[in-house]
Amino acid sequence: MTGPRRAGPSYREASARRRLAAILDEGSFGELLGPTERVTSPHLAALDLPVAFDDGVVVGTGLLGGQPVLGASQEGRFLGGAVGEVHGAKLTGLLRRALAERPAAVLLLLDTGGVRLQEANAGIVAVSEVMRAVLAVRAAGIPVLALVGGAWGCFGGMGIVARCCDGVLMSEEARMGISGPDVIEATRGVEELDASDRAMVWRTWGGKHRVLLGEADRLLEDSLPAFREAARQLVGRARPLTLAALEAEQAWLARRLADLGGSADALDAWRSAGVDEPERLPLLEPPAWSAAVAGARRVRP
Amino acid sequence: MTRTWDTVRRNRAARLERARAVGHGRWVEADRMPALLEALLEPGDRVCLEGNNQKQADFLARALARVDPARVHDLHLVQSVVALPEHLTLFERGIGRRLDFSFSGPQAVRLAQLAGGGKLEIGAIHTYLELYARYFIDLTPRVALVAAQAADREGNLYTGPNTEDTPAIVEATAFKDGLVVVQVNERVDRLPRVDIPAGWVDFITVAPTASTIEPLFTRDPAHIGEVQVLMAMMVIRGIYEEYGVQRLNHGIGFDTAAIELLLPTYAEGLGLKGKICSHWALNPHPTLIPAVESGFVESVHSFGSELGMEAYVAARPDVFFTGHDGSLRSNRAFSQVAGHYACDLFIGSTLQMDLAGNSSTATKSRITGFGGAPNMGCDARGRRHATPAWLKAGREGSTAAMPRGRKLVVQLLETFREHMEPAFVERLDAWDLAEAMRMELPPVMIHGDDVTHVVTEEGIANLLLCRSPEERADAIRGVAGYTPVGRSRSRSAVEALRGRGIVRRPEDLGIAVGEATRDLLAARSVKELVRWSGGLYDPPARFRSW
Repeated sequence: MTGPRRAGPSYREASARRRLAAILDEGSFGELLGPTERVTSPHLAALDLPVAFDDGVVVGTGLLGGQPVLGASQEGRFLGGAVGEVHGAKLTGLLRRALAERPAAVLLLLDTGGVRLQEANAGIVAVSEVMRAVLAVRAAGIPVLALVGGAWGCFGGMGIVARCCDGVLMSEEARMGISGPDVIEATRGVEELDASDRAMVWRTWGGKHRVLLGEADRLLEDSLPAFREAARQLVGRARPLTLAALEAEQAWLARRLADLGGSADALDAWRSAGVDEPERLPLLEPPAWSAAVAGARRVRP
Repeated sequence: MTRTWDTVRRNRAARLERARAVGHGRWVEADRMPALLEALLEPGDRVCLEGNNQKQADFLARALARVDPARVHDLHLVQSVVALPEHLTLFERGIGRRLDFSFSGPQAVRLAQLAGGGKLEIGAIHTYLELYARYFIDLTPRVALVAAQAADREGNLYTGPNTEDTPAIVEATAFKDGLVVVQVNERVDRLPRVDIPAGWVDFITVAPTASTIEPLFTRDPAHIGEVQVLMAMMVIRGIYEEYGVQRLNHGIGFDTAAIELLLPTYAEGLGLKGKICSHWALNPHPTLIPAVESGFVESVHSFGSELGMEAYVAARPDVFFTGHDGSLRSNRAFSQVAGHYACDLFIGSTLQMDLAGNSSTATKSRITGFGGAPNMGCDARGRRHATPAWLKAGREGSTAAMPRGRKLVVQLLETFREHMEPAFVERLDAWDLAEAMRMELPPVMIHGDDVTHVVTEEGIANLLLCRSPEERADAIRGVAGYTPVGRSRSRSAVEALRGRGIVRRPEDLGIAVGEATRDLLAARSVKELVRWSGGLYDPPARFRSW
């Protein structure tokens, strides 16, 4: 075939299990509490809704570049990767296991709209438990990495979880935030935000904007090998979780808000940040994009 | 007493005089359009309000919907597509009474309600070509309200890439002493090219907003599933290669988009470049870009255009029909004729098929109409030129002594459609719709006797080789999967048909089902299409994820 080069099989189109298997060293993945255990959501069953035998999340152990890691991968095709009680407990349990096993990293392959609304408070509690567990693992000096490359992106409470991690890897097709475009349109009206304007949606929540603002660390092509390689490079590299580090980050955020907070559109923010011809950014491939924004990118301290 | 032979012409002059008397010149202010229409129109007039598949005379539709029904009423609307809410507001307000049309996609439910409630009489539901034909026989518009991109000072019109129906409508109206009113997006000193001469146009207005154009033919490759990849492989292997199909028309669904995206990968791997799919009657589908770029496609003539494809088309004049200015020249009437007479194959998706091979997209509560598929998807009985594909189909389909070719008409359908509704049925829903709406004919999109091949995820049924209605029914059951119709098959009958090559499974075609993955698509996303086009394709915002 002639035509554009392809970096490898798509991360976005892969299932949760395939993603984790492809990120980890070949054949090294061992699933914990897999589908054969049939630990399913009691809330969905009570509502007479279909359940998944893994409650929409795959967790387990493996190697990355020969180093032991723990990994979790959310299945966006089951209820939009939303976090229910069992799903959240599997994530929290994996993170607590890290405190005992001390792996070189914990990888969270997030593909989620946030809390599972059908499980209401149980889901909200579950997400807050995940947050607390992430911070406990980080406090123990073990890096936690968020990989965001699925069709759902990473929203709601899980968007906060991603930003609690040591690092975030995103493809440009992925999106990250707290309230997503549809939620904003539904609550504030189409005058506030037109969720059908996809170019605007990706400009605002997409990987390029998130990396440019310093909320994610690397912009990747949508391919499993690209995610694997970027994750491998970050294994063992923990960001300090100290008062001084938090204060530095707070000051950095305040400065960013002062510089860019008045932007009506991502394009304005890119221009204010010093990007020449920001209109061309959306079409650039990750390497060309990285070169174009090199001077303008905000980098988290 | 001698008969007068120019009553229509005198009536035209009287209408123009009425318009002049209330102060209208050739150029009409937008806010005075309803007043002009009230002066021009007479009760019962036959009016063509240009509604194409894509381009809509939306400003004129709104103006017509605002006229006083006491002055303008009982109009007979003759237009190919009923797409805008205003098209039906006319009937709610009593401005319109009767409707002859071809297609009503987005308004299908409301149209059925108005027809059922007695507010709207349907003359007939046509194919595009049939309706244009009737503009020149017994449905000639008295007044045509059309849309163009731009007009110059004299009133010459440039219709832009979406010329679509405009030439056919204006020709029929202007040369039978009718009146032509046009909305343009802009008035310019010099047009890029003249599509309609000023002498055929009576009134022009610059619309406050540009006429609506919908990107109807953009299929995001992200939504193509592996079943569609498998069916596309079967079509390429079992039909395009088998018959050497060089000249063809594709439908607009995801099934055919999958075929387009498999040409540079799967078909090229089979060594089929230059042997299949060279000449097309097709809108400039974005999913055709990889096939164009990899050298499969020699020429494309288009019914209409597609938003975002302007710069790409302008940069590929060897392939597309363009004006000297570079922009696409589309023409639905000519392209429909081309699809009917000059193509060896039509392939499209359908929703429901019975055991005779009749297919329909009708359901009980919707009147969607036909569009162009029936003209593409039927044998051209008047055709007299031969090609290898046409002759081979003719040989398979007939035992008569006199040789005659046959068009290949392929229907694609998954055995179950959405909500697990079986696609194969004993009796089409079209019968119920016809009864409910008191239609003379059930709305059949493609008649069974025109269908040559049925393709499902289970295989291909070659109806040409069937020698009796019973064999055709068995062949259709043989690819109907787990639908009730499929499960009532006789295994031995189907195996016998398989032995004669009438039913063919993927493995009979050398296709391993496991190889049918999305990785075979030349583009898996709209963004990859943009890359294939070298950045020339500029997709509308709704198709972007960047």
